[in-house]
Amino acid sequence: MTEEKQFYLTAKKLKELKKEYDVLKALRVAKTKGEVPSTWESEDLNPEYLSFQEDLNFLETRIEELSNILKNVAIIKSPVKNKRDTVGLGAKVSVEIDGQDKDQFMIVGTLEANPSLGIISNESPVGKALLGFRKGDEVSVSSPIETVYKIKKIEYS
Amino acid sequence: MKELVDFFNNIGKLKGMPRRGWVINDLKNKESIAEHTFRAALMAWILGRKKNLNIERIIKMALIHDLCEIYAGDTTPYDSVLPKNKKKRQRLMKTWPRFSEKERKAISREKYIKEKKGLEKLIAKLSPDIKKEIKNLWLDYEKGLSPEGRFFRQTDRVETFLQSMEYWKKYKKPPQKPWWLWAREFFDDPLVLEFIEAMDKKFHKKKKPRV
Repeated sequence: MTEEKQFYLTAKKLKELKKEYDVLKALRVAKTKGEVPSTWESEDLNPEYLSFQEDLNFLETRIEELSNILKNVAIIKSPVKNKRDTVGLGAKVSVEIDGQDKDQFMIVGTLEANPSLGIISNESPVGKALLGFRKGDEVSVSSPIETVYKIKKIEYS
Repeated sequence: MKELVDFFNNIGKLKGMPRRGWVINDLKNKESIAEHTFRAALMAWILGRKKNLNIERIIKMALIHDLCEIYAGDTTPYDSVLPKNKKKRQRLMKTWPRFSEKERKAISREKYIKEKKGLEKLIAKLSPDIKKEIKNLWLDYEKGLSPEGRFFRQTDRVETFLQSMEYWKKYKKPPQKPWWLWAREFFDDPLVLEFIEAMDKKFHKKKKPRV
């Protein structure tokens, strides 16, 4: 089942997904001819692709999914110089939480988010709350327990 | 048939394996991994319908997502910093552990490798078609390769969050602040966020948690 929405992606992630899409399409063609494409033996290939090798249904589902993402993609670009002091998509934000803990989040689109690695979605309550604020600002996220995030640093790659 | 009997016999062990998050919080009547799976599957089905997802795929995913824990064990974000001393541990449970980028990557990689090996060991003797299906569903869940995979990653966690509120209501623990700190970074699906808001209303109508 495909989702009808716009997908915000960093250039790095977009490149990864395009490569995966090309490899999987080549695999689909090769499988109809009973072959294995040469790219399939490349050592830098994501090992997870192997799971698609013998499962045509899963292969088709993933190709459809990638096609939908690539059709509805919006690339996350670094902001212009005078906007780089504001939290936006693609920013790495260092924060102090409730005046005690320190942490760093990278804010990306939902597809690329991996909260266990500190990469959070712009649609999560914390990601959403930080957007648009600047260094030194205090951002409060409440309900039911209030937490204050003080922005210490904003970086863009 | 012998390999199927062995497989289901192994899976039965999940009924007696308490979830580690409740063990380190010294909770009474600790829920087992199988009990978590039961409600997570129901939630995946009923919430997944609202999102027009492939229900067969998401229910199967829910049923297999923690099978690897039979060999890999259950893990929590606290494991690498957990003190043996009970009082220090109780203090730690009131906070959400924060790690550097390098530490996060190492913890995540180690967990993934351990669980992948555990799953491969468990399904090794099954027929190739079912082995493939289980492995692919697990990979989809782990990597979020499909809308079902991405939605179930959140459903799985929201089931655990619901359980933590039920325990808090009954036993006044685990401390709720770390759960909210984590939840507001982790969840982003609009339906799941709406569900969490409804849980908040139900469990904190009379008394809000302070820690």
